[in-house]
Amino acid sequence: MASTREETVKGHDGAKQVTRRGFLRWISGIGAVVSAAVVGFPAIRAFVSPVLAAPPPDDWVKVADDIALLDVGVPVRVNFVQSTVDAWLESRTLNGVWLFTEDGEKFKAYNGHCTHLGCAYIYDKEHKDFLCPCHHGQFDVATGRVLAGPPPRPLDELEVQVRDSAVFVKYRDFRLGIAEKVEA
Amino acid sequence: MGAIGRWLDKRLDLASIRKTLLDRKMPAGLTWWHTLGSATLAVFVVQITTGIVLAMYYSPSPDHAYDSIRFIERTVASGSLLRGIHHWGASAMVVLVVAHMIRVFTMGSYKYPREANWILGVALLCLVMAFGFTGYLLPWDQKAYWATQVGTNIAGTAPVIGGTLVTLLRGGSQLGAATLARFFALHVLLLPILLGGIVMLHLVIVVRQGIAAPPKVLEEDAPGRTDDPQYAQFYDAKYAQSKASGVRFWPDIIAKDIIVATAVILLLVILGRFFGAGLDAPADPTDSAYVPRPEWYFLPFFQLLKFVPGSMESFVAIGVPTLLVLVLLLLPFFDRRSIRSLVHRPIALTSLGGVTVACALLFGASMSEAPHTGIPQEVGHPLTSTERAGRVLFDQQQCGSCHAIAGRKAPEKNADVPDAPELTDIGLKHTAGWMHSYIEDPTRFHPDSKMPAFGPPTLSHQEIEELAQYLATLRGPHWATAQPEFRDTFPEPVKPKEK
Repeated sequence: MASTREETVKGHDGAKQVTRRGFLRWISGIGAVVSAAVVGFPAIRAFVSPVLAAPPPDDWVKVADDIALLDVGVPVRVNFVQSTVDAWLESRTLNGVWLFTEDGEKFKAYNGHCTHLGCAYIYDKEHKDFLCPCHHGQFDVATGRVLAGPPPRPLDELEVQVRDSAVFVKYRDFRLGIAEKVEA
Repeated sequence: MGAIGRWLDKRLDLASIRKTLLDRKMPAGLTWWHTLGSATLAVFVVQITTGIVLAMYYSPSPDHAYDSIRFIERTVASGSLLRGIHHWGASAMVVLVVAHMIRVFTMGSYKYPREANWILGVALLCLVMAFGFTGYLLPWDQKAYWATQVGTNIAGTAPVIGGTLVTLLRGGSQLGAATLARFFALHVLLLPILLGGIVMLHLVIVVRQGIAAPPKVLEEDAPGRTDDPQYAQFYDAKYAQSKASGVRFWPDIIAKDIIVATAVILLLVILGRFFGAGLDAPADPTDSAYVPRPEWYFLPFFQLLKFVPGSMESFVAIGVPTLLVLVLLLLPFFDRRSIRSLVHRPIALTSLGGVTVACALLFGASMSEAPHTGIPQEVGHPLTSTERAGRVLFDQQQCGSCHAIAGRKAPEKNADVPDAPELTDIGLKHTAGWMHSYIEDPTRFHPDSKMPAFGPPTLSHQEIEELAQYLATLRGPHWATAQPEFRDTFPEPVKPKEK
């Protein structure tokens, strides 16, 4: 009984020979490993797919076609539609930013929501500052600094790029009502 | 056995488990046909593995099911391959279960003492078919939608309970969101539990009873019938004798099983990789031109219903499958002769031959009637809601009674119907904008045109636009490569009427 469990036996010339049992075990092992691998590999690969996925593509949004057409010294509100993709769900969201330039070359962009409670603020032409109609928060146009009212932090500035005289911003939303600028 | 093995053995007595499961003796003379059961089990494991990962990326709602399948196909790493394996695995399950059943049938292995395990096997066959039926709907494409429409309606033809049954299957009176959620729950929750449980039981019984010895061994000097009081004793003696000269389960039998299982799995991976699972256009309840066809293993049955007059339909549609299952379930009880070889069982041989030939003929007939692939009406993208609305208008306004579109129902030629241009590839010839103007008032383009003007109040501008958008998707048989050459010429602007 014990001898039949041996994988190999000594042949007549003393060389090791694979027994029938040994061969069958070997075949079984190979088969099992191959089967597990050909199905297991794609299954695990698909499972960890989100980790393998390439970083999300560049999400700069074009907010103005031509800088020459933008007013200098007066902020403009630009609304745009952004496509967001969450796995198989695609949705279009409407967002807005305020653009401001003092020289027509360097641009500032602010998230269109007041940092207090998220109302859309407006440009107050009379006082030349931003005014939030909800609780009368006031912000400086050139820096986003809080001039008056309850807002806990300056306006949320966004990254801006000018490429071929078009203006792009990297749109982000931040948590509102708190003093720190934390991405939502 | 390593240190961990010894540690566990001391506590769990692994050695005796090994003895019962692996070292047990098998009857002599088992063939390669005896590997079909374990190959089915292997594919079931493949289906579980691939199914779990697919479920992670699937959304069982009509709004998102199709998109989530496309996400699997396009974005998930190896997603298309996994779906391909799962799709072909379903077919393999059916093929293997049926082949295994035929093996057991031809060798008379369902006879004493294996009647109970045969019954479990019949239950497993039904469950595998239920898996196929519920899984087919999940991609929520045209194929899925229409095949399920027909499939659930078949249940609806059942006498008395038909209406209740179809509502129960669909989770409502219409095929829709509740149906999809229901089929998903059945496919991934209930059926796997049932199938898994019964497979376990099936295997426990196999280990307990051992695999049936080849027919010849159990026929020599046997009492004529298995309900003969002497038979049990005879059987035990013969079976013990056969086992004595047989081989051990491990590794002799397992090696054979693994070789076949590996070959099947490799085949599935190759099919999955090179043929994939396919995905039709999204389900479209308004498409009257779609010819529904079920998955191939339901085709013989599907074809059978075409030959049945309406009055007999419910009898055949419900009766034939029910009868088939009943016959299979009762088989071990009305066939108690101890003879096992198929050659000595003329009725069994004739029945098996008859059913096989009938299925083959029906299958062949349904293949020859396969709808020649009509012109894909979609230009590489699923129709948008505007375009679909246009197609509905096309039918409502009966544009098709004058204009033909290849692949859709041809207009009936009546003497009083004027000849109208075919619209099969109109999308290559004219822009949607031009068609909008034309449909609105054809006489502006051709003063003697027989086509009525469809401008307001017949159709609103929005409706005409939908119609034009739909027509623009018609790009003929070579839609994938054809380049449009627009020949839009507009009539001279109409001079404003003088006030």
